[in-house]
Amino acid sequence: MTPPELLKAMREVVGGEHVLHKPEDLLVYELDGTIDRSLPEAVVFPATTAEVQGIVRACNALNVPVTPRGAGTGLSGGAVPAKQGVVLATARMRRILDVDPVERTATVEPGVPNIQLSEAAAEHGLFYAPDPSSQKACTIGGNVAENAGGPHCLALGVTTNHVIGMEVVTASGEVEWLGSRGPEPLGYDLRGLFIGSEGTLGIATKVVVRLLPVPETVVTLLAIFDDVESASETVSAVIGAGLVPAALEMMDRVTLQAAEAGLRCGYPPDAGAVLLVELDGIEEVVRGQVTQARAACNEHGATEIRTATEPAERELLWKGRKGAIGALGRIAPNYYLLDGVVPRSRLVETMGDVARIAEGYGFPVANVFHAGDGNLHPCLLFDEREEGATARVLEAGGEIMRVCVDAGGALTGEHGVGYEKHRFMPWLYSEADLENMRRVRGVFGNAGAFNPCKVLPEGTGCGEMAHQKGALAAAGPDAYV
Amino acid sequence: MTGWPLADDAPDTADLAKCVHCGLCVNACPTYAITGLEVESPRGRIHLARAVAEERIPLTEAVQGHWELCLQCRACEAVCPSGVPYGRIMERARAQVDAAPPAKGWQRRLRRFGLRNVIARPWVLAAAMAPVRWFARSPLRRLVQASGVLRLMGPLGRLEAQLGRPGRPFRPQDEAGAGNVALFTGCVMGELFGDVHRASVRVLQRSGASVFAPRGQGCCGALSAHDGDLEQARRLARANIASFEASGAETIVVNSAGCGAAMKEYGELLAEDPEYAERAEALAGRVVDFSEYLAGRDLPPGRLQGRVAYQDACHLAHAQGISAEPRALLGAVEGCELIETEGADMCCGAAGIYSLIEPGMSAELRARKAAQFEKHLPDIIVTANPGCQMQYEAAVREAGIEARVLHLAEALDSG
Repeated sequence: MTPPELLKAMREVVGGEHVLHKPEDLLVYELDGTIDRSLPEAVVFPATTAEVQGIVRACNALNVPVTPRGAGTGLSGGAVPAKQGVVLATARMRRILDVDPVERTATVEPGVPNIQLSEAAAEHGLFYAPDPSSQKACTIGGNVAENAGGPHCLALGVTTNHVIGMEVVTASGEVEWLGSRGPEPLGYDLRGLFIGSEGTLGIATKVVVRLLPVPETVVTLLAIFDDVESASETVSAVIGAGLVPAALEMMDRVTLQAAEAGLRCGYPPDAGAVLLVELDGIEEVVRGQVTQARAACNEHGATEIRTATEPAERELLWKGRKGAIGALGRIAPNYYLLDGVVPRSRLVETMGDVARIAEGYGFPVANVFHAGDGNLHPCLLFDEREEGATARVLEAGGEIMRVCVDAGGALTGEHGVGYEKHRFMPWLYSEADLENMRRVRGVFGNAGAFNPCKVLPEGTGCGEMAHQKGALAAAGPDAYV
Repeated sequence: MTGWPLADDAPDTADLAKCVHCGLCVNACPTYAITGLEVESPRGRIHLARAVAEERIPLTEAVQGHWELCLQCRACEAVCPSGVPYGRIMERARAQVDAAPPAKGWQRRLRRFGLRNVIARPWVLAAAMAPVRWFARSPLRRLVQASGVLRLMGPLGRLEAQLGRPGRPFRPQDEAGAGNVALFTGCVMGELFGDVHRASVRVLQRSGASVFAPRGQGCCGALSAHDGDLEQARRLARANIASFEASGAETIVVNSAGCGAAMKEYGELLAEDPEYAERAEALAGRVVDFSEYLAGRDLPPGRLQGRVAYQDACHLAHAQGISAEPRALLGAVEGCELIETEGADMCCGAAGIYSLIEPGMSAELRARKAAQFEKHLPDIIVTANPGCQMQYEAAVREAGIEARVLHLAEALDSG
């Protein structure tokens, strides 16, 4: 039952029809794209900055936790209301306010789907670079929160490199502008701090993004290999040759089979691994780069290289890559998608460790990754209906993350720490580091109630979400802070 | 343990488990686009079904309401990487509703009565549609429009706006063996869109086919299946299977997207029927959409002057995966300037009998189409399903533009 005073306060801000509180209406808001679940007490849909501010302030006054939500496609539990309370959804803030082809910028509300921004920019021969695989659904607000990447971030950088400024409502309920139009921030780069803060510091209510001109020529190569090792070596060779492809992606056999079955994109289902290499720019330059990239592939045992130059052909190749994770649903009822980073030189070795851990737990594993960045996405396949499977898969995930960290890598490449990995943060940061981060968080507002239990390990009240025992076990005693 | 009242025809646990709640479907969903509510999105509806199955929540009227608002356009299926058979889940979820406390009880009973006793009975349907055809072409229509009486008639009044100018009916009559291509004539399609069938026959003949409409065929059963009346859908499917088997035709051409999609899934519908399972699968394999049949065949180009906006029929684009073929066929027509409008592949809100059941949502979706027509000013709007055609007649009137609404077959037949 939603507390009546909470409902009343929310209705006063946005009106009754924009507040959900019935059990059947709340249900879907208990989850995002990953495993963790927790039911909110109410879901509220503000339409303006003032309404966002009103909700945050009212919740603060009632000491009710607030969890922001875009499209709920996140992969670290960021939009899951860990301590229940209110989910603040941006689904009514879906306007593209301005596209300026001269300044090459656009101003959008946070609920605008990434793909719609790209489509609006395309009318002017421009594009918005970060292209997460969920771009058809995920929102710009969510992208800002997670500092989202995507296959094309290898050469162009992630969200923080493309957002100039934002209007935000902070966790304490203040409206602020962060960032400036200048090339360098004046004073502290609070814009940079806010991007990637995973919705723990506040909610972006307007976002000004940079748009880039669509490249003259784009060529996508699909290089087919017998095994992941040769493909990995090719990645090092391509980068070593001084190329910075627009995208450099790898998929293993399990992934290829699922993607081909689900999306019919023309992938070779019998191959051990494929690389997608995209090169773009001025035609003459691209031509040279294609020759270089092909040579690197051939040198490292590519059995076949296909070249796609027409937009439709390229789109088909990318359709498979971008739908690959979801397509795993065809071969297993559930998957646990991990997001780790290792130095490129440790890719092959880490892959071996991942396979070993997965096998030890008896979970098949599929691998998709942004190979150019050393960003791994192992997917453990399981069935949550099997007794204890979810706990074990989380345990295996914890071990894999540990391997990434031990290899000199990081806990996340692009999905965020979220709820999923907040307990692992002590693997990378000292208590003093974490305490500094907590103090930064406190500057923006109510750290204990604004998207609680995300990013930073917290003392109490975050353990009640389902399935987390296994992850805790894997994290070891130093995870309890 | 399960919270479904009917063990038969309950949503399959394996189907439900396929959804990994990645959320990639939400933006493809028309009702999400309009409401911004995830509970009105495919992920939300599947999650509700799962919660009912797991007895987390009871099958209440409110839960049924969220399923009822679904258009069953299956745009989500087309973008789902996991291959969740959403259409099947929804049909079965609705089948459960009959055994649960009735949501809108009398409405449901009335529509089931209509689907079983009017739509599915050719002569009753013919008798019911004759006055409709007469009215649509009579001077009385203008008088009625001007009088404002339509506004007082509720859903029936709104239907008037959807009526084009129906020609003579086209009913199955031919004996077996009269050609190599059998035309599926359907229910309302044959009564109100006889001209489309005649155009289809002419175009198919021009492509070299010899076409006939075998006796004994009738309603495909899609409307009943979407309503959750799977028993009735199976009855109709069996009758059609028997008819087309007897006809000896190697190919069955369907020019109504909704019917084509349903018939291609007869195998699934009758999978549990020992006598019919295999026959259904075999028949489904012989069903092709009109545009699918013509694609790649030698068709002397027609002539059509003007700006043409093709609007995908959901059950053609999403359920059958056919969206390039109709555009290619139109593109080959001399004088046809094919234009793309935003959201051409989003549901128009007709969705079978949906516009009668959920008039509010239906009107919002129609208004989106009308706004696009007003912006792009097409001379001709082409689609591939009778319900959509009717909805576009209303959208054109709403947009206040002069545009003709044609079935793809009529567009290809001109010149």
